[in-house]
Amino acid sequence: MVRYGMVIDLNRCIGCRSCAVICKMVNAQPPGTWWQRVETVGSKEHMVPVGEYPNLSEVFLPVPCQHCENAPCVKVCPVGATWQREDGLVLVDFERCIGCRYCITACPYGVRQFNWQDPDENFRQGFERAGFDENWFADKDYKYGYPKDHRTEDGRLVYTKKRPRGVVEKCTFCVQFVDQGLAPACVRGCPGNARIFGDLDDPNSEISKVLKDRSAFRLLEDLGTEPKVFYIPPARKEGRGGVRYEKEI
Amino acid sequence: MNVTRRDFVKLCAFGAISAGVASRYFQLASSQSAGSDEIKMVRSTCSPNCTGACAYHAMVYRGRITSLIQAADYPESDYNPRGCLKGQSMVNLIYGPDRLKKPLIRVGERGEGKFKAVSWDEALDYAAEKLVEVMKKYGPDSIALSIQVPGTGYVHKGAAIRLASMFGWSVLHGYTMNGDLPAFWSQTFGVQTEEFESLEWVNSRYIAVFGSNILVTRLPDAKFLNIAKERGAKVIMIDMNFTPTAAKADEWIQINPSTDAAFALGIANVIINERLYDEDFIKSYTDMPILVRLDNHKRLRAYEVKELKDEAEKLKKEIPEYRDLFVVYDVNEGRLKIVNPETLERDFEPALEGEFEVELVDGTTVKVKPVFQMIKELVTNEYTPERVAEIITPPGRDKAEYAQLVRRIAREMATTKPLHIIYGASNYQWFHGDLKGRALALIVALTGNIGKPGAGISTYAGQFKIRWPLGMWWLFKGRKTNWVTYLLWMNKEYRQSEEFKKYNRETPYPKNDVKAFVFGWNNPFDQHNMANKLKEMAKSGELEFILAIDFQATTSTKWADVVLPGVAWYEKYELTATILHPYVQMQQPAIEPLFECMPEIWIFKELAKRMVAKWNDEELKAQIAEFYPDPALFEKEENARKNGTWSLKLAREIAHEASLKATELMLGKHELTKGITLERLLKEGAIRLNLPTPDKRQIPFWEQIHEKKPFPPPSFPAPLAKTARFVKSGRIEFYKEEDVFIDFGETLPVHKDPFVDTEYKVNPQAKNKYKYAFITRNALYRVHSTHSNNITMLELQDFRPRVWMNPETAKEKGIKPGDLVEVYNDRGKVRGYAVIDPGIHPRVIIFEQGWWSRYLRGDSYNTLTFPWIKAVHLAYFVPGIWEPTTAWNECACDVRKV
Repeated sequence: MVRYGMVIDLNRCIGCRSCAVICKMVNAQPPGTWWQRVETVGSKEHMVPVGEYPNLSEVFLPVPCQHCENAPCVKVCPVGATWQREDGLVLVDFERCIGCRYCITACPYGVRQFNWQDPDENFRQGFERAGFDENWFADKDYKYGYPKDHRTEDGRLVYTKKRPRGVVEKCTFCVQFVDQGLAPACVRGCPGNARIFGDLDDPNSEISKVLKDRSAFRLLEDLGTEPKVFYIPPARKEGRGGVRYEKEI
Repeated sequence: MNVTRRDFVKLCAFGAISAGVASRYFQLASSQSAGSDEIKMVRSTCSPNCTGACAYHAMVYRGRITSLIQAADYPESDYNPRGCLKGQSMVNLIYGPDRLKKPLIRVGERGEGKFKAVSWDEALDYAAEKLVEVMKKYGPDSIALSIQVPGTGYVHKGAAIRLASMFGWSVLHGYTMNGDLPAFWSQTFGVQTEEFESLEWVNSRYIAVFGSNILVTRLPDAKFLNIAKERGAKVIMIDMNFTPTAAKADEWIQINPSTDAAFALGIANVIINERLYDEDFIKSYTDMPILVRLDNHKRLRAYEVKELKDEAEKLKKEIPEYRDLFVVYDVNEGRLKIVNPETLERDFEPALEGEFEVELVDGTTVKVKPVFQMIKELVTNEYTPERVAEIITPPGRDKAEYAQLVRRIAREMATTKPLHIIYGASNYQWFHGDLKGRALALIVALTGNIGKPGAGISTYAGQFKIRWPLGMWWLFKGRKTNWVTYLLWMNKEYRQSEEFKKYNRETPYPKNDVKAFVFGWNNPFDQHNMANKLKEMAKSGELEFILAIDFQATTSTKWADVVLPGVAWYEKYELTATILHPYVQMQQPAIEPLFECMPEIWIFKELAKRMVAKWNDEELKAQIAEFYPDPALFEKEENARKNGTWSLKLAREIAHEASLKATELMLGKHELTKGITLERLLKEGAIRLNLPTPDKRQIPFWEQIHEKKPFPPPSFPAPLAKTARFVKSGRIEFYKEEDVFIDFGETLPVHKDPFVDTEYKVNPQAKNKYKYAFITRNALYRVHSTHSNNITMLELQDFRPRVWMNPETAKEKGIKPGDLVEVYNDRGKVRGYAVIDPGIHPRVIIFEQGWWSRYLRGDSYNTLTFPWIKAVHLAYFVPGIWEPTTAWNECACDVRKV
């Protein structure tokens, strides 16, 4: 059985936010919506260090949906709109979602987003903040994003470019690509080569090998959510020049 | 000016560009037909001015690009995937609200932004008439052309140069305009610039980064620093500020602003005094054994020496004019010997140290010393680790600790090989940036870390580098362009100064000044030093005509008289070959140009055609059909005009084909591009240049070190004779003997404090009034000013510009995080929201360059900067290789809450 997971090597992560942007562009997220975020741990501003001279540090942490094995969002969904597919992907059926947002409350990683309004309204507001009145795209009908709807084998709508108002959305591991045998956009679009995507159940997959060789941790492991996103912790510097490897950030 | 949706659909729905022009290339491309329900992937190359040149796939659906993702198809898989957040969100610019739709002619005041949309014919005729008018009044060289870095597009930017060459316009070299020219390269190595491709970084065992924020400015390459570390390299970061790159480095060493030369010379002190240098290397490949006269500070010429005169005169006939015959003292034979400048094969065993007396032809004697001896004296007397610590140690830090640090780093750098030094552009964009570069080059030369895998010094700025000769396309039938140095244009006072008159030998300036400004692919009215000066020239009418070509409306197009809509790099064929990876790549049209936008080759062809008709040059009139590489294409379009079948669509098709022909013409004849054909490029994507190194890797000076060829290797497009005269000995030169170096005490690399020769010299009050350095670094979210208006990038910055400062500065000025602050000096101001950052040096204020003035309440960060000119940059003139270069960071400021 295939069970998809992801490894993010925090040593390799350069904090550039390309993963968040490619995710946004490919998955048609309007201004205000981000399925994935990258922040500097402990700092209010991205790429501003924490600590005191000379022991300043910047650790970048990308957070997509963790696609938990024991997913709290799945458990609380009253209508079965959020479910875990057999291959481990946690998905939202846009046609079944009633917008109750229990899942948003339940998710300890804060990755779920809600469409309070028509995405066009997000664009309008975004461009307004950027100083444009209404002429958002020069070509009025233009919106970025993978153009076609995607349904699972049993017909559930898990990707559509124009999300209806009142549904919850989140990272799908790019289900529309995974179903075509392609890796998620953030993996293909990571210039730092920080991400590995693959089958956790296949002992010969790259991801399994890496997880066997390297010590990895998962976010909020003690909650028992069993995320399928694994992080390789950053090497920690001790004083000047010396390098110590440690599991915790 | 609005194009209705129906017009747009009409324009877009032309579908396959194969119709009309029968060509094998169009058949290749015709699969991208619009209208079908299929998703097509078209490979192109993203190429703004970041030098990334990353391969992208455009996902095309119903004639529109729906998203962009890295193609990741480089043959060396380590390079995959190249590309970053800006390239990924480029669709926001292609379809964005600032996209130009039709040609525009100004109707309001300059800078007001009022235009009327006109037809192409009207705009082109008007522009051609105005340009010819200026040419007739002031001469063709009074038109200045700026196209920024031609490496991003050999075909279309080449077409602009081609037009300039027809009439003899002046071209502004973007490399110096941007401050990207690291002058130490020409002074020391005789080249424009050199660098490792980033894949080579992983072969180093020690990487010392001097002020280059690779993790922000080189996103597709940054991973190689991480991989180098994984393979056991030590990475150190020397920077006045903590950066993401410092965070990844094994060690961050904070030093005072622009004191890297002192640090490097302290390192040289330890290397020399502890005898950690590579003796054979410096004897063979550098000028260190060459003797210098102590009476006039010039190098001793062989024909000046009595015992060598006859031999020298014979030899002189055998060497090119740009070489000269210098002398060493051979310790085995106990006599003076001539250094053959045409080979690095060493037939002498020179003394590196000591002082000698030489009898000259006229019977007098002079004292001489090897360059090495002089360097040794310099670093021993002036740059002991303790003296260096006095200069580099930031306020409040322990100087004794810094002296120890200099010793330790020197030993590490001298003994861990291969060593690679990366010298950041922001670090050399200071008045004495060249001295810092010369001092850093000294470290790699002393330790023999040049010309080997993973061993060298690199600078990474500007997509400037021309990879092979391109004159066959860029220059119209062998005609030549003129040149004008941007700083000389901006700095009239200096142009008229005694210093300029005394030291300038070759740097040209149009005799009737610059009267018209033509620019494409750049945003000078925001981005250039000084933006306010340019605006004043536009307002006062000193500039009689301004023509802009761009695919979107920017701050600068607002200041133009005519705006011609070009295309984005997913709407044309273009040839690119840039620096960080030595691949030749194509851009291909994924979509039809939007609205009435046209490929630039067509725009320049049309301008040329219309200008020639009004200009008195019969030869040009007869040859104009040859503007397109195939005159038949030119005629085809003219015939269509005559018989009424002309359309924008046809013009585009012909322009596409002309672009491909120009590409073929340029790929034509050179050894470096042998076997790289247009067909292969369209099929395979990226093809490596035929570099003469193992695996065709980009390892600078490989041929010098391994094949003993003299320095310098060629810097295209300049002929070798032009650049080899910088290093007449054929060796890496640390001693410069031209008068200007002697007069300013820079014959050898030395440290000079920032601001002393600039801000404090013109205004002694500045020292107390403006005690902060105004650093305008690159942002994660922009490529210079490109993507300033990208909605997704704006969102990631909370839609507002910021000002970074040290907590001490904030405390002193009563500034809290998020406060609106103003950074200012006597020249100008810029505002942003305060970010308190413990990693910023207490004497530094940072603003991220590239914000368009509409996001800055109408201001520009370049109102604070000043076009300083350093006299040693006038010693020679080769455009973009040796000429005055901008020093953005040499700018003193203060900050206050507003």
